[in-house]
Amino acid sequence: MTFAASMLASVDHPPIDWHALAPELIVLGVLAIIILVDAFGGEDRKWAISSITSIGLLVAIVPVVTMAVDGAVRSMFDAAYVVDNYALLFKALFLVAGYIVVLLSTNYIAEGDYWEGEYYQLLLASILGMMIMASARDLIGIFVALETISIPAYMLAAWRKRESRSDEAGLKYYLMGVFASGVLLYGMSLLYGLTGSTRLVDIAAAVSGEAPALVIVAIVFTIVGFGFKVSAVPFHTWAPDVYEGAPTPVTAFVAVASKAAGFVALITVVLVAFPTQPEIFEPLIWALAAATMTVGNVIALRQTNMVRLLAYSGVAQAGYMLAPLAIAGHSATSAELATSAIATYLVIYMAMNLGAFGIVIAMARKTGSAELSSYGGMLNYAPALTVAMTIFVFSLAGIPFLAGWYGKLAVVLALVQPGTWFGYSMAIIVGVNSVIALGYYAKIARIMWIDPAPDGDTTRVRVPVSVASALVITAVLTVAIGVYPPLVDQFTGAESFLTLGF
Amino acid sequence: MPEAVLLGGEQTTTAVEWVVFIIAATTTLLGSFGVIMARNPVHAALSLVGSLFSVAVLFLNQGAEFLAAVQVIVYTGAIVILILFVLMLLGIDTEEDLEDEPLRGQMPVAVGIGVLLTASVFALTQLVGFDVVTGTPEVTAAIRDDMPNINQIGRLLFTDFVVATQLAGVMLTVAVVGAVVMARRPREYQPIPEPESMDAPLSLDPTDQGADNGAEVAD
Amino acid sequence: MLLNQFLLLGAVLFCIGVYGVLVRRNGVMVLMSIELILNAVNINLVAFGTHLQQATGQAFALFVIPIAAAEVAVGLAIVLMIYRNRRSIDVDSLDEMKG
Repeated sequence: MTFAASMLASVDHPPIDWHALAPELIVLGVLAIIILVDAFGGEDRKWAISSITSIGLLVAIVPVVTMAVDGAVRSMFDAAYVVDNYALLFKALFLVAGYIVVLLSTNYIAEGDYWEGEYYQLLLASILGMMIMASARDLIGIFVALETISIPAYMLAAWRKRESRSDEAGLKYYLMGVFASGVLLYGMSLLYGLTGSTRLVDIAAAVSGEAPALVIVAIVFTIVGFGFKVSAVPFHTWAPDVYEGAPTPVTAFVAVASKAAGFVALITVVLVAFPTQPEIFEPLIWALAAATMTVGNVIALRQTNMVRLLAYSGVAQAGYMLAPLAIAGHSATSAELATSAIATYLVIYMAMNLGAFGIVIAMARKTGSAELSSYGGMLNYAPALTVAMTIFVFSLAGIPFLAGWYGKLAVVLALVQPGTWFGYSMAIIVGVNSVIALGYYAKIARIMWIDPAPDGDTTRVRVPVSVASALVITAVLTVAIGVYPPLVDQFTGAESFLTLGF
Repeated sequence: MPEAVLLGGEQTTTAVEWVVFIIAATTTLLGSFGVIMARNPVHAALSLVGSLFSVAVLFLNQGAEFLAAVQVIVYTGAIVILILFVLMLLGIDTEEDLEDEPLRGQMPVAVGIGVLLTASVFALTQLVGFDVVTGTPEVTAAIRDDMPNINQIGRLLFTDFVVATQLAGVMLTVAVVGAVVMARRPREYQPIPEPESMDAPLSLDPTDQGADNGAEVAD
Repeated sequence: MLLNQFLLLGAVLFCIGVYGVLVRRNGVMVLMSIELILNAVNINLVAFGTHLQQATGQAFALFVIPIAAAEVAVGLAIVLMIYRNRRSIDVDSLDEMKG
C-alpha cells in the first residue's frame, strides 16, 4: 500500500444520515441545475429559472416534513450538526420565506433588466446557508453558514447596478457586515481557545462555573457580532439605508429571512453554549432589546418613506424578539419558553412582514414610489390591496386576532414566567412600545383609507399572479395564526424543542 | 511567559522561537501601522504585504507549515494583488487627507476607542492571563508527530467539518458568480458625466449637505 | 511554545484593524483594515491550536482564509461598481439616504 492509500484507509469516516441532509442536498441540486440552465439554456430559457427555483424550494420541504413526522433527533459529527424540531421548524421557515421571496421577485427581476439567472443562484445559496445555520452546532459551521448567508445578500442589495442608491446600500451592508463578522470571529477564536473545542456542547461544559474575564470578552464579542445581523440598536444603522436602496424583494429577503437566520444563530449560541453564564448575557441582551425596540419605534414615528418606516419597524420588532432571551438564563423552563416565544414570533413576523413588502412591490408598479403619501386614496382604486395591507400593519402593531397579537402574547408570557423584576420590567417596556408603535401603523392605515390620492390618479393596480399569490399566502397565514394560534404553537411548543446546554 | 510553558506540558520555548517571534511580531505591527497610517493606498497595500508575510512566519514558528504556505499564496499572492489591481485600474492611488474630518470629533473618538481596546486587552492578558480555562484536548483532533501537518488538517476537514467544507465551496462558487455580475459593465454602458473636480463625490441631490463636498472641505 | 505573546499580538492587531475601519475613508483601505482583523483572528486560532495540541485551530484558520478572500473579491467588485457610478470610493460620500 502506498503512503496515501494507507492514510486514507486509516480515516474514520463519520456516519452520515442522508435523510437529515436531504433538504440541503435538494437545494444544492437545484442551485447546480439553475447554474447549468443559465449557462447553456440561452436567453429564451431565462423564464424557466424562477420556476425551477420555486419548485425546488417546495420539493425541499418534503424531507423536512417527513423528518418532522418521524420526530427523531438526528445528530451527526459528535453533536456538531443536529436536526431536531427546532432546526426543522426553521428550515421550513427559510424554505417558505424563500419561496415567497421568489414569487415576489419573478416579475420585478424579469421586467427590470437585471441579471436574472444569477439573482436566483445567489438567493438559493443564501437560503442554503440559512438551512445549515439552523442545524449547525459548532463555531466553524455557524461561521461558514453565516458567511454563506451574508456574502450573496451583500451583492443582492446592490443588484440595481445603475441605481446609485442600490450601490450605496450594497457597500454599506457589506462594510458593516464584514466588520461585524470580524468582531464575531475574534470572539469565536477566544471562545475556542479558552474552552478547547469548537462544539457548542463542549463549550457549555467548559464555561460552567465562575467565568474568567476573557470568557466574558468572548461572549460579549459574539453577541455583538450577531447583534449586527439582527439589526439590534446600536448596530442597526445599516438597516434603513440598505432596505431603502436594495431592490424591494431583496429588502424583504434581508428583513425577514436573513434576520431570522441571525436570531437562530444567536439563540443557538447563547442557549446551547452559554446558558450557565446568565449574569453575563442577560443584562447585555436586556439593554440591547430595550434600546432596540424603543429607538426603532421612536424613529419610525417620523418616517415619510414606507420602506424606511418598515425598516425601523423591523428594528423595533427585532427588539421584541430579543426580549425573551434576556430572561432565558433563569432556568431551563424559562429558556424553553423563550426559545418557543422567539420561534413563534419569527414565524408570524415572516408572514406579516413579507406581506407588507409584497404590498410595497405591488403598489410601486403603479406609483413608482415608496413615499407614504403615494398610498393615499388606495381604498378607491385597490380595495383588496388596502384590506391586505391593513391586515399586515395591524398584525405588526399587535391588534388582537391578527397573528402579531399572539406573537407579542408569547413574548410577554415568557417574560413574566420567571417572576423577577428583570422580566417584569422588560414586559412593561414591550407594552409601552406596542402603544408607541400603534401611532405609525395607524398612520399608514389612515393614509390608505381616508387620504385622497395625491395626483387624483385612480387607475387600478395590475398585480401579477405571482405577487398576488404571495399576498394571499401571507394574508391567510397572518389571519389564520391570529384566530387559531395552535397552528404555530404545536410546532414551537413541542417538548425538547431545542436541546439546551443546561 | 512561564504559565504558558507549564500548561503546555512537555512544550518548551527555545531561544530561536523567541528571536523569530520578536522579529516577526515587530514587522507585523510595523506593517499594520503602515496600513492605517499611510496616505497613499499603494503604500498601505505594500505594508499589508509585509504584515501578512510576517504573520506567515509566525505560523511557521507555531508549527503550522501548511497554513503558512496558504497564508502566503492566498493573502500575499491573491488578495493583495487583487487590491493593487483595483487601485491601479481605477487610478485612485491618490493620497487621502487624513486631517480632514467629515464628522466633527470622529477622529478623537476613534483614537479613544483604539487606545481603550488595546489597553483593556493588554490589562486582561497581563492581569488575568489566558490560562484560566483549559479544555481537555480532543483525542481525535490531537496534533500527532508521526503525521504531516497537512494530512491532519485535511483529515479534519473531510470528517468532522465536512459540511462546513462543502458549504464553503458553494459560497466561493456563488461569490465568483456574483462578483462577475457586479464588476461587469452594464449591457448598454453609458458613462456618467465627470464631475468638475475629480475629488468631489458626485452628489445627485442638490439639497445635499456639503460636509463631503470637496470644495467646501478645502475652506 | 509561546502563547500569551501571540494572543497579545493578536489583540493589538485587532485593535489596529478596528481603528483603521473607523478612521479610513477610502473603501479599499477599510477593506485592508478588515484583513488585519481577520489576521488577528488567525493568529489567535493558530496559537490556541498549538497550545491545546489540536489541529482544530489550524482547520478553523483555514476556513477563515478563503472566506476572507471571497469577501475581498466581492467587496472590490462592489467598489468597482460604485466607482463607475460616482467616480469616488469615499465611504463618507455615501449619504444619499438619510432619515
